[in-house]
Amino acid sequence: MTALLLGALGLTLSLVVPGLLANARWPDRAPAAAVALWQSITLTGVLAALGVVLAAPEEVTRAADSGRRVTEVAVIGALVVAAVIILRLLISLAGVTRRSRARRARHRMLVDLLDRAEQHREIGPDHLRVLDGALPLAYCVPGREPRVVLSRGVLQVLDREQINAVLAHEQTHLRHRHEVVMESFTAFYRAVPGPLRSRQPLDAVHLLLEMIADDAARRRVGAEPLRAALERLTDAVPLAEDVKPDPRGDARRRRLDRLSASHTPSVALNVLAGVAAVGLLVLPTVILVLPWLDKALDKWPL
Amino acid sequence: MALGDLEREVMTQLWDAGEPLTVRQVHERLSRQRDLAYTTVMTVLDRLAKKGVVTQQKADRAYKYAPSQSREEMTASVMLDALSSSVDQDAALAYFVGQLSPDALAAAIEASQKQK
Repeated sequence: MTALLLGALGLTLSLVVPGLLANARWPDRAPAAAVALWQSITLTGVLAALGVVLAAPEEVTRAADSGRRVTEVAVIGALVVAAVIILRLLISLAGVTRRSRARRARHRMLVDLLDRAEQHREIGPDHLRVLDGALPLAYCVPGREPRVVLSRGVLQVLDREQINAVLAHEQTHLRHRHEVVMESFTAFYRAVPGPLRSRQPLDAVHLLLEMIADDAARRRVGAEPLRAALERLTDAVPLAEDVKPDPRGDARRRRLDRLSASHTPSVALNVLAGVAAVGLLVLPTVILVLPWLDKALDKWPL
Repeated sequence: MALGDLEREVMTQLWDAGEPLTVRQVHERLSRQRDLAYTTVMTVLDRLAKKGVVTQQKADRAYKYAPSQSREEMTASVMLDALSSSVDQDAALAYFVGQLSPDALAAAIEASQKQK
């Protein structure tokens, strides 16, 4: 019974809930809590899968009243499968971390060499780099030695206040270590077997992190410069005709919409989402796993 | 002067020269602005060669150094790298404010290269 319930929970969390949460609009008003909820959903999904793997063989052998020998084999098999799942997740995380670190290190080396330092002496932060490109582009390279990179195009189309808004946005990504959050979701995505895999958490969390950075920038410089920067940076890009329609235009519109509305961080939503995140992690363990563990340990064969 | 700044300035000299330079030539160009040891320039060029951004070629018993890519090429490849961080390939390297699709931006980079 425990295994069935955990299985149902795991499937719901990996197949049904992501769709609902990805399409909901309330996270726009509580992005940080929504990220926590996504993390909790993902982690609980993993725990549920581990729960099924551990509980199912034990429950089946107990129900069938199998002999000691069979139960032993079943439990050992379950432990091995659980260990494989955990290893797969850890290996995926190590791989994603290693690759993106190497890539960032090389990228940082190149922007340091290409930097047009003379163009931004008065703009500010030490780790700012300006690339000599007309295409307006702003991004950050996270890591122990982070960089914020702007193209010359950005300096041309944005005024000083708007540049400050962009810098504040990128600084927030760096300060809050958003790359770690993205890396963990990427690692999870890659470790999950094909049919159960969904891009929705990745895309939703990516957008939410942008919103968090937008909110921090808005607090520092006001909504208007940030909004203007967001609009100008994309408008300034000379789009070729044969380019596919922007798949994330939707996301940008959402960010612009919430920047034009007056900023009312919803305390109630934050609290609710936070409680849901913690509840999701704790409740299944308490309600389903502990009673089973109690029974299972009584008859522990090893 | 920090090593990073020095590396950047050496690259700038090589890019601006438009032809391969010897250590002595780089040293001369940099010495117009400041006091700099010959061996320092040699070390910096060696480091840049190890990083693969500078190529070393032997000509008339002296080594000459040239950038492995023009400044424009390297800038374009760095920008493309920043943009092609699609999430299912690898953790995002770049969060860019504009949120355009990598395809659209790659096309835009090409377009802006052609304008030059």
